[in-house]
Amino acid sequence: MSGAYTPGLRVTARTRHQVRRLLPIPGEVLVKVGDRVEARQVVAHTFMPGDITPLNLAKQLSMPPADVPECMLKKEGERVEPGEVLARTKGIFGRFRTEYKVAVAGTIESISSVTGQVIIRGAELPVQVLAYLAGRAIEIAPREGCVIESDVSFVQGIFGIGGEAFGQIRLACEAHDQDLTGARITPDMKDCIVVGGARVSHEALERARGVGAAAIVSGGIDDQDLERFLGYALGVAITGSERVGLTVVVTEGFGQIAMAERTFTLMASRQGADAAVNGTTQIRAGVMRPEVVIPWSRAEAVDEHGPGTTRGGLEIGAPVRVIRDPYFGAIGTVTGLPPEPQVLPSGSRARVLQVTLNTGDGVIIPRANVELIEG
Amino acid sequence: MTPTGSLANIRVILATDCGSTTTKAILIQPVDGVYRQTHRGEAPTTVEAPFADVTLGVINAVTEVQELAGRRLVNSEGRIIQPATANEGCDIYISTSSAGGGLQMMVAGVVREMTGESAKRAALGAGAIVMDVIASNDRRRPHEQIQRIRELRPDIILISGGVDGGTTTHVVQIAELIAPAKPRPRFGSEYTLPIIYAGNRDAAPLVQNVIKEGFALTVVDNLRPVLERENLGPARDAIHNLFLEHVMKHAPGYDKLMEWVDAPIMPTPGAVGNILQTIAGRQGVNVVGVDIGGATTDVFSVFDGTFNRTVSANLGMSYSIANVFAETGMANVLRWMPFDMDERQLRNRVKNKMIRPTTIPQTLEALVFEQAVAREALRLAYVQHKEFATTLKGVQQQRTVGDTFSQATSGQTIVDNMKLDLLVASGGVLSHAPRMHQTAMMLVDAFEPEGFTRLAKDSIFMMPHLGVLAQVHPQASLEVFDRDCLIHLGACIAPRGAGKAGRPCFRFSIRTGDREESGEMLYGDLRLVPLGERETAIVIIDPERGFDCGGGPGKRVEREVRGGTVGMILDARGRPLVVPTARAASREMVERWGAALGLYPELAPLLTRHS
Amino acid sequence: MSSSLKGKGSAKRSIAAAVACAALFFPALAAGQAPAPPSGLTARDHSWDNGTRIDLQWTASADEATLRGYVVRRRSTVETNFSVVDIVPAGTNALTVGSLNREAGHLFRVTALGANSLESTPAATTAPVFPTMEWFDGTRVWFLFTLVLLCGSVVAFIVLARRGMPLTLRRIAGLEAVDDAVGRATEMGRPCLFIPGINDMNEIQTIAGLTILSRVAKTAAEYDAKLEVPTSKSLVMTAARETMQTAFLTAGRPEAYNPDSVYYVTDEQFGYVAYVQGLMVREKPAACFYMGSFFAESLILAETGNAIGAIQIAGTAQPAQLPFFVAACDYTLIGEEFFAASAYLSGEPDQLGSLKGQDVGKLLVGAGILLGVLGATAAALTGSAFIESLVNFFTGTMLT
Repeated sequence: MSGAYTPGLRVTARTRHQVRRLLPIPGEVLVKVGDRVEARQVVAHTFMPGDITPLNLAKQLSMPPADVPECMLKKEGERVEPGEVLARTKGIFGRFRTEYKVAVAGTIESISSVTGQVIIRGAELPVQVLAYLAGRAIEIAPREGCVIESDVSFVQGIFGIGGEAFGQIRLACEAHDQDLTGARITPDMKDCIVVGGARVSHEALERARGVGAAAIVSGGIDDQDLERFLGYALGVAITGSERVGLTVVVTEGFGQIAMAERTFTLMASRQGADAAVNGTTQIRAGVMRPEVVIPWSRAEAVDEHGPGTTRGGLEIGAPVRVIRDPYFGAIGTVTGLPPEPQVLPSGSRARVLQVTLNTGDGVIIPRANVELIEG
Repeated sequence: MTPTGSLANIRVILATDCGSTTTKAILIQPVDGVYRQTHRGEAPTTVEAPFADVTLGVINAVTEVQELAGRRLVNSEGRIIQPATANEGCDIYISTSSAGGGLQMMVAGVVREMTGESAKRAALGAGAIVMDVIASNDRRRPHEQIQRIRELRPDIILISGGVDGGTTTHVVQIAELIAPAKPRPRFGSEYTLPIIYAGNRDAAPLVQNVIKEGFALTVVDNLRPVLERENLGPARDAIHNLFLEHVMKHAPGYDKLMEWVDAPIMPTPGAVGNILQTIAGRQGVNVVGVDIGGATTDVFSVFDGTFNRTVSANLGMSYSIANVFAETGMANVLRWMPFDMDERQLRNRVKNKMIRPTTIPQTLEALVFEQAVAREALRLAYVQHKEFATTLKGVQQQRTVGDTFSQATSGQTIVDNMKLDLLVASGGVLSHAPRMHQTAMMLVDAFEPEGFTRLAKDSIFMMPHLGVLAQVHPQASLEVFDRDCLIHLGACIAPRGAGKAGRPCFRFSIRTGDREESGEMLYGDLRLVPLGERETAIVIIDPERGFDCGGGPGKRVEREVRGGTVGMILDARGRPLVVPTARAASREMVERWGAALGLYPELAPLLTRHS
Repeated sequence: MSSSLKGKGSAKRSIAAAVACAALFFPALAAGQAPAPPSGLTARDHSWDNGTRIDLQWTASADEATLRGYVVRRRSTVETNFSVVDIVPAGTNALTVGSLNREAGHLFRVTALGANSLESTPAATTAPVFPTMEWFDGTRVWFLFTLVLLCGSVVAFIVLARRGMPLTLRRIAGLEAVDDAVGRATEMGRPCLFIPGINDMNEIQTIAGLTILSRVAKTAAEYDAKLEVPTSKSLVMTAARETMQTAFLTAGRPEAYNPDSVYYVTDEQFGYVAYVQGLMVREKPAACFYMGSFFAESLILAETGNAIGAIQIAGTAQPAQLPFFVAACDYTLIGEEFFAASAYLSGEPDQLGSLKGQDVGKLLVGAGILLGVLGATAAALTGSAFIESLVNFFTGTMLT
């Protein structure tokens, strides 16, 4: 544990990025290795087994379950349409027969003589996987999906809601510490990925949804505003499946906090570029953070990679961001790494580091409470 | 796989626990004739990419132990050396695992409160997280049940239902829903989902008929052969086996690890349950154990030999911290705070902790706040545990005319705080609290023990290791448990009953080897009497009328009390403990209690600043 | 006050009458001078009564100090002779005469009775006075008060319940056990049996029983358990079918309702019992409910149920059958509890409110009994006249 491992969020102007695009169940892959794909292009598709409708005919027709198979007019594997007579009781001397008309369309999957239950499976549901990243397919997993690679500007957020969205990068703020207010959202931001500075207000979220923006990326958000926007209090940090009509990515955290200047500058430099956003966040085993992926077009694609993904450990001179109060959100440089644990004001003993904040103050912070600003 | 030779020859025991973030290794060796935990080491768990081999983390952790112990444990091929020689290797190597989110199960029963609950008990007891219970009476229409089954991605499904000779239709009906729903397992598409059937034996052939392709069906004895009795053993064993055969096989590196170990790898919580059951059985005590983590809180209890475990899946200190607030409300957390904080800021802080779970409180304010949250998370988890740990439901009652006006229903909770002897804490916020007093107080506030209760904490979360060890070498496991695993915090003495603040609650007299002390406690007061770790005292409690300290209302109780790092807490705050949510009242109370115990000695200057 | 005086007055009255008789029949013995007569006798109808009383008032005789008392006589207009009504002690100058005929007018005379048993000349009323009946009886004011209090609390609670005030009822173990019993039947794959008593729909207990049936049926529908209801009255069968159908509909499983599970057996008490017993032995239901009016069959059914190992829940208001049910069943709803259960289940504000109101009434009665007993005991022990007068007021005036 000598080199404390403090992962940070990645913010990179240019990196070679790969995404795996897989079907949930086996299906057909529509691209070949080497194909160029666009973000919204379907790369694989399949059909999910349809919805199941269980019908208890023994109860519907008031007869013992064992009689159900005999009374069925359709057999397993046959198709039924709404309104069709599915079963008819034997009645008394062939009279007083009762019929059961089916209300759904589908295929009879099973008929049980134990429970009197008939299972009808509806039409298959198509499932499509989009490319998400505009780039080149470099690997195909037969019947499952493919890997797409491209040179991108890559920004990881800390927290997001909503799933995948696509659009042009549009800056709504002039500086990284400017709040994203409702007034900054204009109707021409429809289908754009709106980039703000510091805290995004509830009004801005509502307006962005109103004008039909694809996504909002900003530094911080107030918990109360998020709750109002979602309509419920967020319990655990597993998101991505919300249907709120807008993907939101927060790069720093909750509260009044400015977007890291580097992130903002990067966004500003890519203004107008097509990008993909995913708000999915999962903070448990298998961590997933929300991301903004801005591919470089083919013309711009030069075979030159930035310093890229080397993840340095914590060392003197490394830029860090404080991720817990009392200096939450502050950015600074590591100036000392005392090896022995020290007693914190809270009374706990923990390994710490000395940081000189951008304001010039030198402070001592537990190592667990900083993250490296990675590039 | 079993160690050769008699147990007495075993000199070096190595145990690891592969948690979701950290792999911990401990070394146990005899010191002066008793087994002691001598060295420990830890390393990040390496289940996920880029390493994708759990044994890397294990070897890293063991290497750290090796360096500290000065004993070679890992050979040049990166394998653990077995058996031990004079200065190399170990005699027994065992491991537990909760990596990759642990074992996740879905269970099904006929009646939710009867076989459904028994099935849940079997799964929880085996160390699983129960994602959902499907039952005939869960108030969902069949298509809703199917929808739910399809959404879940369990590792194992347990189907029970019907007593032997009982209902077949209900059981088969559930099987008929599960089979076409084809729940997708978490691991890849080649994984065949294991299903355990532990229901009415008459229905077994019918269930086998329904569940055919795409599943690996195992039929074991009914877990509820009659309503009056549970038989959870076979189902639990089946879960353990399938955990190894199916789930572990698909986790990266576990096939190697399984070859190394001398006892089957157990899910971590299952092992914790094991050691607590062993302790309760050997010492004849009632035990409650709690493990509060970032995402979940596990509560274990053994009362009169009956073991229960619950997992409060969404009560935790980091990933699930926001959910604690959603469930209990801001006011309930704030009532434990001796000072006020801005609500909007607090809400943001809570959410920031959720999205950055590894951070630790730097300021005292943040610590106090985190411990207030912990109290509520623990309290809620214990409430859930009490609701689950009940006598069996659906049992016929024998009555006499004397019962006319006191007809008790079945399914009463078996958790009785008055009978509780030992309360064991583990998990970050409890075991890493800067002062032991804080740990003790969190336990007392959240669990509200009554009568005489020993408080302890798991020093370095060693219980999982010892749980597995108890299966191969019970003696070593017990010796280490008592000497190294538990840190005795002391005892809590609290009578049950309610009264008026400032009125007498009980009189006490304490006799230790060299001193005697006696006095009176007023209702609402809290007092700490120092009593060292190796000290014992004879304590006589004379409760006032209406207060019960274990001997009945108003009756004198005399007990021997064992001390600890904190001492003896005399708690006259009454049970159930009432802490108002009105800020003015609770602030004063909590501040007074904190001062009595010396919870936050550095807080005094802070408090003046705040007020 | 009048009634308490009446009791004491009667004894005095007989002595006084004897004295008066002596004075009348033996005038020779009444030597000496007759006392001065009372004067200004007025007779007025007693207000706020049922038309049987007249109030008399007179001015005392001049010889009041030496008098033994005053003799009051009365004659109705249809009678010829005056008769003695009462002899009141000296110092009294008013009397309420009771038990008078409303149809006739009444004339009164009051004489002073000297120490020598001589009577003065009478003071008399001149015109006959008629007692008249008023709308209200003033002696019943306390009764009215009690009535308003009891009914008022019922009405008040109903109004409160209707306005949505939450009324909490004590949990009834027998009802909570319904889930347990039906669950047991489900797990064991056996039916549930519900017996709604052997009386017809005119019996309030049968109706209460059917309310509970709706709860049992709803649970059975949710658990997908089989429920059988044999009845001994055809009307009960019809009502039970309605109840069950509604319950299944509420549970969201209308298709599971089978009208054939509710059927009529026979009106004959023991024919019915023999059938039910046979059914129990053959089908071995795992849950039996006895809810309604039961007689000799209570123990026969409950014992059979116990023998087949069923969870049994009974409810009846027949006091004679309760001990049997309590001993043989797992849970018993006792008397009032049985009706309370019906209110508990229906959750209707009217039922809940009246239940709560009745509780207030019972509380008042209980408090009254306690106060009376304590007061009377205290009076007897201390002999205090004040306490005794309070007790007398309580028992004599407030409670009559």
